[in-house]
Amino acid sequence: MCAIVGAIAVTSAGARPVATPGVSATEIHLGSSVPLSGEAAIAGNVARGIEAYFKYVNDKGGVFGRKITFTYLDDGYDPGRAVNNTIRLIQQEQVFAVFSSLGTSNNLAVRKLLNDAKVPQLYVSSGATTFGRDYKKYPWTIGYIPPYSEEGELYGRYAVKNVKKPKIAVLYQNDDYGRDLLAGLKRGLGSKTKSIVASVGYDPTSADVQPQVTQLRASKANVLMVFAFGKFSLQAFNAVSRLNWKPQIFVNDVSSASALMAIVPQKAANGSISIVFGKDPAAPIWRSDKGIKLFQSILKKYGSSVNSRDLQDGYFTAGMATAYTMVTTLKKAGKNLTRQSVMNAATHLTEKGNPFVLPGIVIRTTPTSRFPLTQVRLQRWSNNSWHPFGKLISAKP
Amino acid sequence: MKAKLVLELFGFAVLALIVAALPRFISDFRARELAIVGMYFIALLGLSILTGYSGQISLGHGAFMAIGGYTTAILSVDGIYGHQIRDLWTIPIAGVIAGIAGLLVGVPALRLSGLYLALITFGIAVSFPQLPKKFDHLFGGTTGKILNLAKPPFGLSTTTNNWMYYLTWGIALVLLVAASLLVRSGAGRALKAIRDSEVAATSSGISLARYKTMAFGISAFYAGVAGSLYAIANAYVNPDVFPIILSIYLVVGLAVGGLDSLIGLIAGAGLIYFLQNHADTVAGWINHLPALNLDPKQPGIPSMIFGVVLIVVMLLLPTGAGGLLRRVFRPLTGRIYTRS
Amino acid sequence: MLIGAFTWTEFAQQLAAGIREGAIYAGLALAIVIIYRSTRVINFAQGEMATFTTFIAWSLMNHGLSFWTAFPIVLAIAFTGGVAIERIVIRPVEDAPVLTIVIVTLGLALLLNGLMSVIWGGANRQFRGPFSTRTIDVGGVPISVQDIGIVLVSIGLVVLLALFFRLTKLGLALRASSVNPDSSRLVGIRVGWILALGWGIAAVLGAVAGMMIAPVVFLDPNMMQTILLYAFAAAVLGGLDSPIGAVVGGILLGVTITLLGRYVGFIGSTLKLPAALMLILVLLLVRPGGLFGRVVVRRV
Repeated sequence: MCAIVGAIAVTSAGARPVATPGVSATEIHLGSSVPLSGEAAIAGNVARGIEAYFKYVNDKGGVFGRKITFTYLDDGYDPGRAVNNTIRLIQQEQVFAVFSSLGTSNNLAVRKLLNDAKVPQLYVSSGATTFGRDYKKYPWTIGYIPPYSEEGELYGRYAVKNVKKPKIAVLYQNDDYGRDLLAGLKRGLGSKTKSIVASVGYDPTSADVQPQVTQLRASKANVLMVFAFGKFSLQAFNAVSRLNWKPQIFVNDVSSASALMAIVPQKAANGSISIVFGKDPAAPIWRSDKGIKLFQSILKKYGSSVNSRDLQDGYFTAGMATAYTMVTTLKKAGKNLTRQSVMNAATHLTEKGNPFVLPGIVIRTTPTSRFPLTQVRLQRWSNNSWHPFGKLISAKP
Repeated sequence: MKAKLVLELFGFAVLALIVAALPRFISDFRARELAIVGMYFIALLGLSILTGYSGQISLGHGAFMAIGGYTTAILSVDGIYGHQIRDLWTIPIAGVIAGIAGLLVGVPALRLSGLYLALITFGIAVSFPQLPKKFDHLFGGTTGKILNLAKPPFGLSTTTNNWMYYLTWGIALVLLVAASLLVRSGAGRALKAIRDSEVAATSSGISLARYKTMAFGISAFYAGVAGSLYAIANAYVNPDVFPIILSIYLVVGLAVGGLDSLIGLIAGAGLIYFLQNHADTVAGWINHLPALNLDPKQPGIPSMIFGVVLIVVMLLLPTGAGGLLRRVFRPLTGRIYTRS
Repeated sequence: MLIGAFTWTEFAQQLAAGIREGAIYAGLALAIVIIYRSTRVINFAQGEMATFTTFIAWSLMNHGLSFWTAFPIVLAIAFTGGVAIERIVIRPVEDAPVLTIVIVTLGLALLLNGLMSVIWGGANRQFRGPFSTRTIDVGGVPISVQDIGIVLVSIGLVVLLALFFRLTKLGLALRASSVNPDSSRLVGIRVGWILALGWGIAAVLGAVAGMMIAPVVFLDPNMMQTILLYAFAAAVLGGLDSPIGAVVGGILLGVTITLLGRYVGFIGSTLKLPAALMLILVLLLVRPGGLFGRVVVRRV
């Protein structure tokens, strides 16, 4: 067999000597791998939001006359498929860069191969700190949203400052996501980590988190951190209400969408605190906002297979925010677009006025500080909507 | 009889030739895709020995693939006493460890029949991904383990994808020959006897325990090898790389492809891969039908396509691998029904 | 993970939570058992069928109907749907190997799941069930009225089913068809339609289970996926052909797993499913038919 292998020694796929793959005089080809099937399929709407935004930009002439082609593939939240998709994007689709792929483990799985091939892994859709922190080893990678551990730290600092004699109970999803939040919380509490009187992890294969919340209730805590994802966060609020418990609740950003908060028992939800950095299209305060109106008009005109529900779906907005930053980056990279120039642009970014994030946020990066979105505000839930308070604060590691 | 043997040898030779020559005509990425098909094929070979030849249903073979994959990951990343083992040599080890796990499962399986066994093995498929999460110091939890990127050995000048292709199909052909020899041997006949009628087999002096557990062990070995190759190809493992649905896909591939038809199993493996990764192509075909305009990017559409294809294929080819499936299960259901 | 001290109050609450979890598994397990009993098939689409009918209920209620007005409509739709699925999708492969039928049900599960995402979207939504969310005080322990309702409904379903099978002609026909289809035909029973009836009943059971569960865990296309796994476990535990076994198995499983998960730190939340598997495996080794099931033993 070795003879056969030796005889048919083939070189890299169809090696047409191209200056920069995925870039031509008329086109920039970006790729992404997201879940479009399986449990995490709703998160795939991020890619559909990006797609719509790029079509809008193309309609206005594109970037330096180049239209953006966006190819996104379904990985069902399976890292093996994410690897396969990413290799396909690089080798078969010949994309210029991989952008906004979703999922911590999915991005971890492809990080090495992308960096090895010197393909930019831009604006990773995950809050794991490693994507912004480990640039020395992985210089072609950069994250986007505020890291989960920083979010946890903000909650910790707030609790210490504003809650009298805090006794904190923590419900966290037992994976990197929840554990990052918990670790950040402990950091934010500083010397007062003993304030955590109970912390219970739940596995995403659980049917219901009432047993866990019951256990936390028994600790008689007066603060509850809900570091849970989606339906588990909803169930937690349900359980809190049923157990006649009235702690100060902090709920993590990913589960804080207005659409979700509105359907839990309000007596438990009122007074909850979260952070915010993006504009939630379902939130009453943004109803007449120019950015959200733009979002909805773009989605209506350029979105594929969208319905009226999607106009209120924050995943689409998050996608457009990332796409907006991508366009800023491409413009900054200049007419002579190469993978190196786009990485330079991405690590020297100063973007103001992104219409899909909070007003006043400056998306900023430097080669040694690769966390684009680091400014957030705190917000409190009451009267069926979120009310931001205070100034922009930093969630920078 | 001899003519049949000559025909089969000829068929095998043709297959080997196609496998060897194909990369010349296809793109590099396509070679990778075929490599993954090959991995599914290896797992299906094993599953066919278990379900096709000894009549035991397993809805949990993804777990054995996971065992193989994790073995390779741990040995090549953490190594033994810090000494990393080259990914290539971990493949047989992964197979053996998975095989032992198969034997261990095969023992209690003796006491379970038909759908009870199916559901217990399904329980294994469901439970197994939890173990890496619990024992995360060893298995890496959800963060997983990152392997070194696969590289052709001995400085062969070929691409990674082609290397994976030849490695996988080389192993597949060897294991195919092994499986064929097994099936033709005394052990194989014993397995078939057990499948057709356990009562008759025992009366003839065949040890149910020995052969049934052996079938489990061998099929798990095959799955372990497949899982090991899959881990090498992805250079990453975590519980989501071997999800619950993988075990389901394997059974689907087996039923659709065929139990005793070699070409069928390759087709089964191909179908599993194709439906997952080329849903847009299938959507394109379906959209040729009037009044249908499916967008494969819309969440939910890929699942619907997969589901419909499964139903249609099974309705059209209910006995998938021919009467063999029927012969497998008639003795099983016969124990519960009384024959009139 | 801090386990925390043991208090009797909390223990009682965990016990109640476990019973309620178990009653949830029991509802779906009943449906699985009914189909298995009448057709010898494991229906992997049971969960998705239940979720689908719950979505229909949600849609009706979204258009202004009250729960109790929508309830009988949904049951009728569920029944019709179950019968239709059996006749259209299962009947062509009735005589095919069991594995083929299982794969058809898997395909059906995927199809329904995708369809729900397409029609209603993947977001979680609230489902207002028939029971109030009030809590009442039972000896110092707050128990929710909803939980009590769920348990009562599950028990009620089993009683109804038992009466149906034992006392009605249709129930007798169903039992006969599953045990001996050929003889049943000779006696004039339309076996084909009886099988469809089995699926219809199971679909109704699933619909009820779904409408009980949704207020607690919130409605989304993937609502039943984990619950289905536990329901399989409950059905196997109780014996695949025993409705009583399904309910007893379900509640037993729910309580055991909740208490083990809470009080055995090693198991916690992560190993609940493997623990359930181990328990059931051990039980099956001792009683191969489950708690209440029958298995014909072959002696050589």
